[in-house]
Amino acid sequence: MATQPGEVQAALSRRYGAGFVTDIESHSLPPGLDEDTIRALSAIKEEPEWMTEWRLAAYRRWLKMTPPNWAHLKLGPIDFQAISYYSAPKNKPKSLDEVDPKLLETYDKLGVPLHERAKLAGVAVDAVFDSVSVANTAREQLAKVGVIFCSMSEAIREHGELVRQYLGTVVPQGDNFFAALNSAVFSDGSFVFIPKGVRCPMELSTYFRINAGHTGQFERTLIIAEESSVVSYLEGCTAPMRDENQLHAAVVELVALEKANIKYSTVQNWYPGDENGKGGIYNFVTKRGECRGDDSRITWTQVETGSAITWKYPSCVLRGDRSVGEFHSVALTNHFQQADTGTKMIHIGRDTKSKIVSKGISAGRSQNSYRGLVKVEKGALNARNHTRCDSILIGKKCGSHTFPYMEVKNPTAIVEHEATTSKISDDQLFYCRSRGIGEEDAVSMIVDGFCKQVFRELPMEFAVEAKKLLEVSLEGAIG
Amino acid sequence: MNAALTPFVESMQDAALAPRLPGSGLAWLDSARATALQAFVQRGLPEVRNELWKYTTLRALSQRRFAAHDAEAAMRMVPPSMLPAVAGDAVRVVFVNGVFRPDLSTSDRLPEGARLQPLSQALREQPEPLRFLLGAQDSEDDGFTLLNRALATEGVILRVEAGTKVAAPLHIVHVGLAGEREAAWHLRSLIELGEDASLDIVEHHVGESGAGHLANLVRDINLRDEARLGWTVVQTAGTEAILLRRCDCRLGDAATLDFHALELGGKLARHEVRVDLAGARARFSSRGAFVLHGRQHADTEILVTHRGRDTVSDSLWRGVADGRGRGVVHGRIMMQPGADGAEGGFYNKNLLLSPDAEIDTRPALEIYADEVKANHGATVGQLDENVLFYLRSRGIPLDMARRLLVRAFCAVTLDGIEPPALREHCGALLAAQLPESMA
Repeated sequence: MATQPGEVQAALSRRYGAGFVTDIESHSLPPGLDEDTIRALSAIKEEPEWMTEWRLAAYRRWLKMTPPNWAHLKLGPIDFQAISYYSAPKNKPKSLDEVDPKLLETYDKLGVPLHERAKLAGVAVDAVFDSVSVANTAREQLAKVGVIFCSMSEAIREHGELVRQYLGTVVPQGDNFFAALNSAVFSDGSFVFIPKGVRCPMELSTYFRINAGHTGQFERTLIIAEESSVVSYLEGCTAPMRDENQLHAAVVELVALEKANIKYSTVQNWYPGDENGKGGIYNFVTKRGECRGDDSRITWTQVETGSAITWKYPSCVLRGDRSVGEFHSVALTNHFQQADTGTKMIHIGRDTKSKIVSKGISAGRSQNSYRGLVKVEKGALNARNHTRCDSILIGKKCGSHTFPYMEVKNPTAIVEHEATTSKISDDQLFYCRSRGIGEEDAVSMIVDGFCKQVFRELPMEFAVEAKKLLEVSLEGAIG
Repeated sequence: MNAALTPFVESMQDAALAPRLPGSGLAWLDSARATALQAFVQRGLPEVRNELWKYTTLRALSQRRFAAHDAEAAMRMVPPSMLPAVAGDAVRVVFVNGVFRPDLSTSDRLPEGARLQPLSQALREQPEPLRFLLGAQDSEDDGFTLLNRALATEGVILRVEAGTKVAAPLHIVHVGLAGEREAAWHLRSLIELGEDASLDIVEHHVGESGAGHLANLVRDINLRDEARLGWTVVQTAGTEAILLRRCDCRLGDAATLDFHALELGGKLARHEVRVDLAGARARFSSRGAFVLHGRQHADTEILVTHRGRDTVSDSLWRGVADGRGRGVVHGRIMMQPGADGAEGGFYNKNLLLSPDAEIDTRPALEIYADEVKANHGATVGQLDENVLFYLRSRGIPLDMARRLLVRAFCAVTLDGIEPPALREHCGALLAAQLPESMA
């Protein structure tokens, strides 16, 4: 494929759009991790005694664990003592008007105008800046219908009983190495509680941003949907450009009770590192939802374009009878990015259904893996699963891999998996070009069509953003 | 650090002390055997943490002891029913409890250009050409390959010269008979086909029910440019047999390997087939089926690496699990940089017939080249009620209808088995093995 020198130049000079550093005073704990750090962290956050103990218990388990090595990833050892486990803007805001104007500017640059979005788009935004939640919009409106949407730290202080009842019940402290670390040092995140029978009147949204250097972000999100409630939650992530690798180890827990419906969408655009693979976020995330009640439903939708390394498997435990789990994913890697992502569907209840659609695009020298588990337990009568994984390769030096696991213990189950891997078809490209469409645009169109099935699942404004992100991320990959 | 010295490891250490290994006294061989044994003792049996052993746990096996060999193996009577005739003019090689039996074999009838020696004889007469095979270590060794390196006593060393087309199939029969004690044997084979040579091998595993033993087979198959090998494995080992088999195949330019497998017997039957499509236009096709009941466990690993340009691999596997049977299938297609124009496919369908049976299937693609096509698919399900209803509405009893459908489900994997007599033989074995609940 021939490329004009001009195009290459333009592509090379394109930079990560969200890679600016906000210059505000922040309060950080010195790097290092021991029981005192955790006590200090817990004290800063004014947490009750049980929370401190819970963190310490997780820390003690974490000490006995070793980092997993089964993922298809190349990464050096991480020095957990070199990371600062808490970083917060110094001036704590009391309300939206008091939020540091520089912070608001940051979110504007990112395209999250708090005021506007809250009002115009009908989206309630909880913005998490490094480790604390700085602003939370439209709360009053939500409070009227009984929805609780606040930062995790606030929830621990004000809704302690609820948090205590559900925290760690979907992702236990010792679930895996990074989940244990998160349980010990998690800083903030969102807490959502939808009471019985309530359909949440607006889309809830959080924007995460890692700002300070040498910090890790350990976000913890808990969403509880009571009987017959409905909620849609959006999450977006960015980080500034830095040469060192920053760690993001989040835990997200979803609990859907009887007939509840949770839709969780992510657009992840952490800094992916530069063209030479320097810097970027290590994104090691444990996301799991449990369909605890009958007839409940959890849908994960993710668009992953950022991070130097992504290690993430949003999962569904289908415990309730007739519960449904869905996973829709687009993962794009370019330059030296590595992604090992997929899902787990654990069928336990009767007549449970799951659907997996995964689209992988790898370009440059990146490695992109789908890893998924479909497990049908003995009592899961009439379980159904369909999995579809497609990957395209752009360029000679990238890799694309598929590792599905199917474990079936019930003879009434039907589990199906199909996958294909190929490059963008020359015929399609030729067709577009013969119609006068430039090569980059043609590739972008074809990729967009390839991902359509997943974008359809995203809320409208996110779908637009996701599409743009793909275009930007792919630039420079064709040639 | 030594892995825990389990009874199994101890019994293998004892076996290594027995002064009966062929070729002992050769410095390079003794040293390679000692190194391998030491590595095995350190590492122990493969664990489920090893991705290739994820669904096959060896915890029970690690508590068992096996004798180093069966002293009577050279004299035991083999019932004629255990030596099926696959084709009238087949050349037969028979191993009884891991010991070569010249009295039952006809390997001297091989045509000009093909030479077969038992490993023990080759080590006595001409050990040097085997040095590259037995003197080396490999980074891909697991516990059983290491054991095999340390303890292999027998095997087939077969070389077919360039241009030689062997018409009659070579029939290798592994017989497992009950002995005084449960024994373990380790066979190491090498099959080399020169340029443009052609050969068909039929490998039978048969055995007495109730005879517990462990057979650890490691094979190397090397096909030079344009060579062709047809390889059919028919496994109807005894109900207590443990079979651990591994085969490393390397294909040169335009070489072809046609592999068929029918896995019906054994208590634990594992077969790991690694195929390296190194030469341009090399082709590998595999067709296989397993039918399990009781507490049988079958684990098939097909690991294909495309390295040459325009290489083709295509695999089709069917599995049926009834009773408390557990079937494991892992099909991996890896495409290395430079394998432009390669096409790979792996398809696996399974029937789960009982609430206590389990199927674990895992197709995988690892793609490092962009001018390639790779597909895979896997399903686990049961017989289609509508089709059953249709057959019954035509007056076919339920039981027969189910048998018909299961048989048809597996039969596609028998297509292409040559000669036709062998295909019929396999079809009959398959029919006889259909699940108990349908009998």
